[in-house]
Amino acid sequence: MADEKLHDLVIIGAGPAALAAAVYTTREDIDTILVEKGVVGGLAAITDWVDNYPGFAKGVSGLDLAQQLEAQAERFGADIRLGEVIALHDEGKHKRLETSDGDLLAKAVLIATGTDYKKLGIPGEDTYYGRGVHYCATCDGAFYRDKRLVVVGGGNSAVQEALFLTKFASHIDMLVRSEVKASEVLVHDLEKNSKITVHLGVTTDEIVGENNKVVKVVGTSDGKQVEFPTDGVFVFIGLKPNTQFLRSTPAIKLDEFGFITSDNDLMTTMPGVFVAGDVRSHSTMQIASAVGEGATAALKIREYLEAHARSA
Amino acid sequence: MAKTITIYTTNTCAYCVMVKKWLKMKGLPYEEVNLEEHPERQAEMMELSGQMAVPVTVVADKATDSMNVTIGWNPSKLATAVASMTTAQVA
Repeated sequence: MADEKLHDLVIIGAGPAALAAAVYTTREDIDTILVEKGVVGGLAAITDWVDNYPGFAKGVSGLDLAQQLEAQAERFGADIRLGEVIALHDEGKHKRLETSDGDLLAKAVLIATGTDYKKLGIPGEDTYYGRGVHYCATCDGAFYRDKRLVVVGGGNSAVQEALFLTKFASHIDMLVRSEVKASEVLVHDLEKNSKITVHLGVTTDEIVGENNKVVKVVGTSDGKQVEFPTDGVFVFIGLKPNTQFLRSTPAIKLDEFGFITSDNDLMTTMPGVFVAGDVRSHSTMQIASAVGEGATAALKIREYLEAHARSA
Repeated sequence: MAKTITIYTTNTCAYCVMVKKWLKMKGLPYEEVNLEEHPERQAEMMELSGQMAVPVTVVADKATDSMNVTIGWNPSKLATAVASMTTAQVA
Protein backbone atom coordinates (compact mmCIF):
# COMPACT_ATOMS: atom_id res chain seq x y z
CA MET A 1 0.00 0.00 0.00
CA ALA A 2 2.84 2.38 0.85
CA ASP A 3 4.12 4.76 -1.79
CA GLU A 4 6.37 7.81 -1.92
CA LYS A 5 3.80 10.11 -3.48
CA LEU A 6 2.26 13.05 -1.64
CA HIS A 7 -1.45 12.45 -2.22
CA ASP A 8 -4.02 15.22 -2.16
CA LEU A 9 -6.34 13.26 0.11
CA VAL A 10 -6.34 10.04 2.06
CA ILE A 11 -9.72 8.94 3.37
CA ILE A 12 -9.62 6.56 6.30
CA GLY A 13 -12.56 4.22 5.87
CA ALA A 14 -14.72 3.23 2.90
CA GLY A 15 -18.25 3.42 4.23
CA PRO A 16 -21.01 5.67 2.86
CA ALA A 17 -19.48 8.96 4.10
CA ALA A 18 -16.06 8.04 2.69
CA LEU A 19 -17.39 6.81 -0.66
CA ALA A 20 -19.63 9.87 -1.09
CA ALA A 21 -16.66 12.15 -0.37
CA ALA A 22 -14.58 10.18 -2.87
CA VAL A 23 -17.22 10.61 -5.59
CA TYR A 24 -16.98 14.38 -5.13
CA THR A 25 -13.19 14.65 -4.83
CA THR A 26 -12.31 12.28 -7.67
CA ARG A 27 -14.75 14.05 -9.99
CA GLU A 28 -12.69 17.17 -9.37
CA ASP A 29 -9.40 15.39 -10.05
CA ILE A 30 -8.36 15.45 -6.43
CA ASP A 31 -6.05 12.47 -6.08
CA THR A 32 -7.89 10.32 -3.52
CA ILE A 33 -6.97 7.11 -1.75
CA LEU A 34 -9.30 5.26 0.61
CA VAL A 35 -7.94 2.85 3.20
CA GLU A 36 -10.42 0.33 4.58
CA LYS A 37 -9.66 -2.24 7.29
CA GLY A 38 -13.10 -3.81 7.42
CA VAL A 39 -15.88 -3.97 4.88
CA VAL A 40 -16.23 -1.58 1.95
CA GLY A 41 -19.62 -0.01 2.62
CA GLY A 42 -19.16 -0.11 6.38
CA LEU A 43 -22.03 -1.10 8.65
CA ALA A 44 -24.44 -0.30 5.81
CA ALA A 45 -23.03 -3.29 3.93
CA ILE A 46 -23.94 -5.69 6.72
CA THR A 47 -27.41 -4.23 7.23
CA ASP A 48 -30.14 -6.43 5.87
CA TRP A 49 -32.40 -3.79 4.39
CA VAL A 50 -32.30 0.01 4.10
CA ASP A 51 -35.75 1.52 3.81
CA ASN A 52 -35.01 5.19 4.49
CA TYR A 53 -32.29 6.03 1.99
CA PRO A 54 -33.75 8.56 -0.46
CA GLY A 55 -34.09 7.47 -4.06
CA PHE A 56 -35.01 3.84 -3.48
CA ALA A 57 -38.80 3.73 -3.48
CA LYS A 58 -38.93 0.07 -2.49
CA GLY A 59 -35.87 0.15 -0.24
CA VAL A 60 -32.53 -1.47 -1.00
CA SER A 61 -30.39 -4.17 0.59
CA GLY A 62 -27.47 -2.73 2.54
CA LEU A 63 -24.99 -4.79 0.55
CA ASP A 64 -26.42 -3.62 -2.80
CA LEU A 65 -26.33 0.02 -1.67
CA ALA A 66 -22.73 -0.36 -0.51
CA GLN A 67 -21.69 -1.97 -3.79
CA GLN A 68 -23.38 0.77 -5.81
CA LEU A 69 -21.59 3.46 -3.78
CA GLU A 70 -18.29 1.65 -4.27
CA ALA A 71 -18.80 1.26 -8.02
CA GLN A 72 -19.74 4.93 -8.35
CA ALA A 73 -16.61 6.10 -6.50
CA GLU A 74 -14.40 3.75 -8.51
CA ARG A 75 -15.95 4.95 -11.77
CA PHE A 76 -14.41 8.35 -11.11
CA GLY A 77 -11.04 6.93 -10.10
CA ALA A 78 -11.19 6.39 -6.35
CA ASP A 79 -8.35 4.10 -5.28
CA ILE A 80 -9.66 1.81 -2.52
CA ARG A 81 -6.91 -0.05 -0.66
CA LEU A 82 -7.46 -2.76 1.92
CA GLY A 83 -5.44 -2.20 5.06
CA GLU A 84 -5.42 -0.55 8.44
CA VAL A 85 -4.32 2.91 9.48
CA ILE A 86 -2.41 2.54 12.73
CA ALA A 87 -1.50 6.17 13.48
CA LEU A 88 -1.81 9.66 12.06
CA HIS A 89 0.91 12.32 12.34
CA ASP A 90 0.89 16.02 11.49
CA GLU A 91 4.26 16.81 9.91
CA GLY A 92 3.62 20.43 9.00
CA LYS A 93 2.98 20.61 5.26
CA HIS A 94 1.61 17.11 5.09
CA LYS A 95 0.13 14.33 7.20
CA ARG A 96 1.78 10.95 7.52
CA LEU A 97 -0.40 7.90 7.96
CA GLU A 98 1.17 4.77 9.35
CA THR A 99 -0.63 1.80 7.86
CA SER A 100 -0.37 -1.96 8.13
CA ASP A 101 1.47 -1.89 4.80
CA GLY A 102 3.73 1.13 5.20
CA ASP A 103 3.33 4.89 5.26
CA LEU A 104 1.15 7.19 3.15
CA LEU A 105 1.57 10.94 2.82
CA ALA A 106 -1.34 13.32 2.26
CA LYS A 107 -2.06 17.02 2.10
CA ALA A 108 -5.45 16.43 3.70
CA VAL A 109 -7.10 13.56 5.52
CA LEU A 110 -10.73 12.64 5.96
CA ILE A 111 -11.58 10.35 8.85
CA ALA A 112 -14.72 8.36 8.02
CA THR A 113 -14.09 5.22 10.02
CA GLY A 114 -17.63 4.87 11.31
CA THR A 115 -18.60 2.70 14.22
CA ASP A 116 -18.69 -0.93 15.20
CA TYR A 117 -21.09 -2.98 17.29
CA LYS A 118 -20.38 -3.09 21.01
CA LYS A 119 -19.94 -6.37 22.84
CA LEU A 120 -21.83 -7.32 25.98
CA GLY A 121 -18.73 -8.23 27.98
CA ILE A 122 -20.48 -11.06 29.83
CA PRO A 123 -19.43 -14.65 30.59
CA GLY A 124 -19.87 -16.97 27.62
CA GLU A 125 -19.81 -14.24 24.98
CA ASP A 126 -16.23 -14.80 23.82
CA THR A 127 -16.31 -18.54 24.56
CA TYR A 128 -19.22 -19.13 22.18
CA TYR A 129 -18.39 -16.52 19.53
CA GLY A 130 -19.21 -18.15 16.19
CA ARG A 131 -20.68 -21.16 17.97
CA GLY A 132 -23.93 -19.53 18.99
CA VAL A 133 -22.91 -15.91 19.57
CA HIS A 134 -23.01 -13.61 16.53
CA TYR A 135 -22.90 -9.93 15.60
CA CYS A 136 -23.82 -10.15 11.90
CA ALA A 137 -27.35 -11.32 11.14
CA THR A 138 -26.93 -11.06 7.38
CA CYS A 139 -23.85 -13.31 7.59
CA ASP A 140 -24.93 -16.00 10.02
CA GLY A 141 -28.72 -15.83 10.32
CA ALA A 142 -29.14 -18.56 7.70
CA PHE A 143 -27.63 -21.12 10.08
CA TYR A 144 -30.66 -20.81 12.37
CA ARG A 145 -33.43 -22.06 10.13
CA ASP A 146 -36.29 -23.28 12.35
CA LYS A 147 -34.24 -22.64 15.51
CA ARG A 148 -34.86 -20.46 18.56
CA LEU A 149 -32.84 -17.29 18.90
CA VAL A 150 -32.20 -14.53 21.39
CA VAL A 151 -31.56 -11.00 20.13
CA VAL A 152 -30.03 -8.61 22.66
CA GLY A 153 -30.74 -4.89 22.25
CA GLY A 154 -33.63 -2.54 21.65
CA GLY A 155 -32.42 0.09 19.20
CA ASN A 156 -32.93 0.41 15.44
CA SER A 157 -30.24 -2.16 14.60
CA ALA A 158 -31.58 -4.74 17.05
CA VAL A 159 -35.14 -4.43 15.77
CA GLN A 160 -34.11 -4.36 12.11
CA GLU A 161 -31.91 -7.42 12.44
CA ALA A 162 -34.42 -9.31 14.62
CA LEU A 163 -37.01 -8.80 11.89
CA PHE A 164 -34.50 -10.10 9.33
CA LEU A 165 -33.79 -13.15 11.47
CA THR A 166 -37.48 -14.12 11.47
CA LYS A 167 -36.88 -15.25 7.87
CA PHE A 168 -35.04 -18.19 9.39
CA ALA A 169 -35.78 -18.60 13.10
CA SER A 170 -38.86 -20.29 14.52
CA HIS A 171 -38.98 -17.85 17.45
CA ILE A 172 -36.97 -14.93 18.78
CA ASP A 173 -36.79 -13.67 22.36
CA MET A 174 -35.68 -10.05 22.25
CA LEU A 175 -34.02 -8.93 25.49
CA VAL A 176 -34.18 -5.17 26.04
CA ARG A 177 -32.49 -3.61 29.06
CA SER A 178 -34.88 -0.67 29.32
CA GLU A 179 -37.29 0.05 26.48
CA VAL A 180 -37.35 -0.24 22.69
CA LYS A 181 -35.80 2.85 21.15
CA ALA A 182 -36.36 2.30 17.45
CA SER A 183 -38.15 4.23 14.71
CA GLU A 184 -41.95 4.06 14.66
CA VAL A 185 -41.96 2.10 11.42
CA LEU A 186 -39.71 -0.57 12.90
CA VAL A 187 -41.67 -0.67 16.16
CA HIS A 188 -44.86 -1.17 14.15
CA ASP A 189 -43.28 -4.06 12.22
CA LEU A 190 -41.99 -5.51 15.47
CA GLU A 191 -45.41 -5.40 17.13
CA LYS A 192 -47.11 -7.22 14.30
CA ASN A 193 -44.46 -9.93 14.00
CA SER A 194 -45.72 -12.99 15.85
CA LYS A 195 -42.32 -14.69 15.87
CA ILE A 196 -40.73 -12.11 18.19
CA THR A 197 -41.41 -11.80 21.91
CA VAL A 198 -40.03 -8.59 23.42
CA HIS A 199 -38.89 -8.73 27.04
CA LEU A 200 -38.44 -5.24 28.51
CA GLY A 201 -36.37 -4.46 31.59
CA VAL A 202 -34.20 -7.55 31.21
CA THR A 203 -30.44 -7.46 31.62
CA THR A 204 -28.36 -10.08 29.83
CA ASP A 205 -25.94 -11.62 32.31
CA GLU A 206 -24.53 -14.83 30.88
CA ILE A 207 -24.54 -17.00 27.78
CA VAL A 208 -24.52 -20.65 28.78
CA GLY A 209 -23.50 -23.57 26.60
CA GLU A 210 -23.33 -27.34 26.74
CA ASN A 211 -21.37 -29.67 24.48
CA ASN A 212 -19.79 -26.72 22.69
CA LYS A 213 -23.14 -25.11 21.80
CA VAL A 214 -25.19 -22.29 23.26
CA VAL A 215 -28.25 -23.58 25.10
CA LYS A 216 -29.58 -20.60 27.06
CA VAL A 217 -29.19 -16.97 28.04
CA VAL A 218 -29.43 -16.03 31.69
CA GLY A 219 -30.65 -12.57 32.64
CA THR A 220 -32.25 -10.57 35.41
CA SER A 221 -35.73 -9.10 35.49
CA ASP A 222 -37.24 -7.34 38.53
CA GLY A 223 -34.34 -8.61 40.60
CA LYS A 224 -35.03 -12.23 39.71
CA GLN A 225 -33.02 -14.57 37.51
CA VAL A 226 -34.67 -15.40 34.20
CA GLU A 227 -33.59 -17.92 31.56
CA PHE A 228 -34.20 -18.07 27.84
CA PRO A 229 -33.50 -21.41 26.13
CA THR A 230 -31.95 -20.73 22.72
CA ASP A 231 -29.82 -22.09 19.90
CA GLY A 232 -28.06 -18.79 19.27
CA VAL A 233 -27.63 -15.19 20.36
CA PHE A 234 -27.31 -12.11 18.15
CA VAL A 235 -26.02 -8.97 19.88
CA PHE A 236 -26.89 -5.41 18.80
CA ILE A 237 -26.49 -3.20 21.85
CA GLY A 238 -25.13 0.01 20.41
CA LEU A 239 -22.18 1.39 18.58
CA LYS A 240 -18.65 2.38 19.48
CA PRO A 241 -16.55 4.79 17.40
CA ASN A 242 -13.63 3.43 15.42
CA THR A 243 -11.02 5.84 16.78
CA GLN A 244 -8.49 3.44 18.28
CA PHE A 245 -5.86 4.57 15.77
CA LEU A 246 -5.98 8.07 17.31
CA ARG A 247 -4.72 6.88 20.69
CA SER A 248 -1.34 8.47 20.01
CA THR A 249 -2.78 11.58 18.34
CA PRO A 250 -3.94 13.85 21.18
CA ALA A 251 -4.09 16.81 18.77
CA ILE A 252 -7.41 15.39 17.53
CA LYS A 253 -9.98 16.03 20.21
CA LEU A 254 -12.55 13.36 21.01
CA ASP A 255 -15.75 13.83 22.97
CA GLU A 256 -16.51 11.98 26.21
CA PHE A 257 -17.73 8.93 24.26
CA GLY A 258 -14.71 8.77 21.94
CA PHE A 259 -16.32 10.37 18.86
CA ILE A 260 -14.34 13.00 16.94
CA THR A 261 -15.22 16.66 17.43
CA SER A 262 -15.28 19.06 14.50
CA ASP A 263 -15.98 22.66 13.56
CA ASN A 264 -18.68 23.87 11.18
CA ASP A 265 -16.48 22.90 8.21
CA LEU A 266 -16.16 19.33 9.54
CA MET A 267 -12.49 20.00 10.30
CA THR A 268 -11.10 18.32 13.42
CA THR A 269 -8.81 20.06 15.90
CA MET A 270 -5.88 19.05 13.66
CA PRO A 271 -5.77 21.44 10.68
CA GLY A 272 -6.22 19.60 7.38
CA VAL A 273 -7.87 16.59 9.00
CA PHE A 274 -11.63 16.37 8.47
CA VAL A 275 -14.27 14.00 9.80
CA ALA A 276 -17.59 12.77 8.41
CA GLY A 277 -20.22 10.16 9.16
CA ASP A 278 -20.99 8.10 12.23
CA VAL A 279 -17.59 8.61 13.84
CA ARG A 280 -18.20 12.37 14.12
CA SER A 281 -19.42 13.68 17.45
CA HIS A 282 -23.17 14.45 17.30
CA SER A 283 -23.65 12.58 14.03
CA THR A 284 -27.21 11.38 13.50
CA MET A 285 -26.03 7.84 12.61
CA GLN A 286 -27.99 7.68 9.38
CA ILE A 287 -26.65 6.54 6.00
CA ALA A 288 -28.29 9.53 4.31
CA SER A 289 -26.65 12.01 6.66
CA ALA A 290 -23.30 10.22 6.40
CA VAL A 291 -23.45 10.60 2.63
CA GLY A 292 -24.36 14.29 3.04
CA GLU A 293 -21.50 14.84 5.45
CA GLY A 294 -19.15 13.10 3.03
CA ALA A 295 -20.16 15.50 0.26
CA THR A 296 -19.80 18.51 2.56
CA ALA A 297 -16.40 17.35 3.77
CA ALA A 298 -15.25 16.90 0.17
CA LEU A 299 -16.16 20.49 -0.71
CA LYS A 300 -14.45 21.82 2.42
CA ILE A 301 -11.38 19.73 1.66
CA ARG A 302 -11.27 21.21 -1.84
CA GLU A 303 -11.25 24.69 -0.29
CA TYR A 304 -8.54 23.62 2.14
CA LEU A 305 -6.38 22.18 -0.67
CA GLU A 306 -6.78 25.34 -2.74
CA ALA A 307 -5.65 27.45 0.23
CA HIS A 308 -2.85 24.93 0.85
CA ALA A 309 -1.66 25.31 -2.78
CA ARG A 310 -1.74 29.12 -2.57
CA SER A 311 0.40 29.14 0.57
CA ALA A 312 2.90 26.59 -0.77
CA MET B 1 -2.03 -28.04 -8.46
CA ALA B 2 -0.64 -28.27 -4.94
CA LYS B 3 -2.98 -25.91 -3.15
CA THR B 4 -6.66 -25.14 -3.20
CA ILE B 5 -8.68 -22.33 -1.65
CA THR B 6 -12.26 -22.88 -0.53
CA ILE B 7 -14.50 -20.14 0.88
CA TYR B 8 -17.67 -20.90 2.79
CA THR B 9 -20.22 -18.09 2.40
CA THR B 10 -23.86 -17.10 2.73
CA ASN B 11 -25.97 -14.99 0.35
CA THR B 12 -25.91 -11.64 2.15
CA CYS B 13 -22.55 -11.77 3.92
CA ALA B 14 -20.58 -8.59 3.23
CA TYR B 15 -17.45 -9.98 4.90
CA CYS B 16 -17.57 -12.87 2.41
CA VAL B 17 -17.63 -10.33 -0.41
CA MET B 18 -14.47 -8.78 1.05
CA VAL B 19 -12.63 -12.11 1.17
CA LYS B 20 -13.56 -12.84 -2.46
CA LYS B 21 -12.53 -9.32 -3.48
CA TRP B 22 -9.19 -9.74 -1.71
CA LEU B 23 -8.46 -13.10 -3.36
CA LYS B 24 -9.41 -11.71 -6.78
CA MET B 25 -7.09 -8.75 -6.14
CA LYS B 26 -4.28 -11.23 -5.43
CA GLY B 27 -5.14 -13.24 -8.55
CA LEU B 28 -5.87 -16.37 -6.54
CA PRO B 29 -8.69 -18.65 -7.75
CA TYR B 30 -11.03 -20.21 -5.23
CA GLU B 31 -14.02 -22.49 -4.88
CA GLU B 32 -17.02 -20.87 -3.19
CA VAL B 33 -19.39 -23.01 -1.14
CA ASN B 34 -22.59 -21.07 -0.53
CA LEU B 35 -24.05 -22.69 2.55
CA GLU B 36 -27.55 -21.41 1.85
CA GLU B 37 -27.48 -23.20 -1.50
CA HIS B 38 -25.67 -26.21 0.00
CA PRO B 39 -26.85 -26.56 3.61
CA GLU B 40 -25.68 -30.17 3.53
CA ARG B 41 -22.12 -28.80 3.71
CA GLN B 42 -22.62 -26.77 6.91
CA ALA B 43 -21.34 -29.67 9.03
CA GLU B 44 -18.20 -29.79 6.87
CA MET B 45 -17.48 -26.11 7.63
CA MET B 46 -18.24 -26.66 11.30
CA GLU B 47 -15.78 -29.55 11.38
CA LEU B 48 -13.07 -27.56 9.62
CA SER B 49 -13.42 -24.34 11.61
CA GLY B 50 -14.96 -25.47 14.90
CA GLN B 51 -17.64 -22.82 14.64
CA MET B 52 -20.55 -21.66 12.54
CA ALA B 53 -19.95 -18.12 11.29
CA VAL B 54 -18.90 -17.07 7.81
CA PRO B 55 -16.73 -16.39 5.96
CA VAL B 56 -14.40 -19.32 6.46
CA THR B 57 -11.45 -19.62 4.10
CA VAL B 58 -9.60 -22.92 3.86
CA VAL B 59 -6.23 -23.13 2.14
CA ALA B 60 -5.41 -26.79 1.66
CA ASP B 61 -2.01 -28.07 0.60
CA LYS B 62 -2.41 -31.52 -0.88
CA ALA B 63 1.34 -32.04 -1.17
CA THR B 64 1.90 -31.74 2.58
CA ASP B 65 -1.62 -32.76 3.57
CA SER B 66 -1.91 -29.58 5.63
CA MET B 67 -4.64 -27.02 5.98
CA ASN B 68 -4.91 -23.37 7.04
CA VAL B 69 -8.32 -22.14 8.19
CA THR B 70 -9.16 -18.42 8.45
CA ILE B 71 -12.38 -17.44 10.19
CA GLY B 72 -13.90 -14.08 9.28
CA TRP B 73 -12.50 -11.24 7.18
CA ASN B 74 -8.94 -11.09 8.42
CA PRO B 75 -6.58 -9.86 5.67
CA SER B 76 -3.40 -10.24 7.68
CA LYS B 77 -4.21 -13.88 8.50
CA LEU B 78 -5.24 -14.52 4.90
CA ALA B 79 -1.99 -12.99 3.72
CA THR B 80 -0.05 -15.43 5.90
CA ALA B 81 -2.16 -18.35 4.67
CA VAL B 82 -1.45 -17.62 1.02
CA ALA B 83 2.04 -16.15 1.55
CA SER B 84 3.91 -18.86 -0.27
CA MET B 85 1.34 -19.21 -3.03
CA THR B 86 1.39 -17.92 -6.55
CA THR B 87 -1.41 -18.25 -9.06
CA ALA B 88 0.53 -21.11 -10.63
CA GLN B 89 0.55 -23.06 -7.37
CA VAL B 90 -3.17 -22.90 -6.91
CA ALA B 91 -5.47 -25.49 -8.37
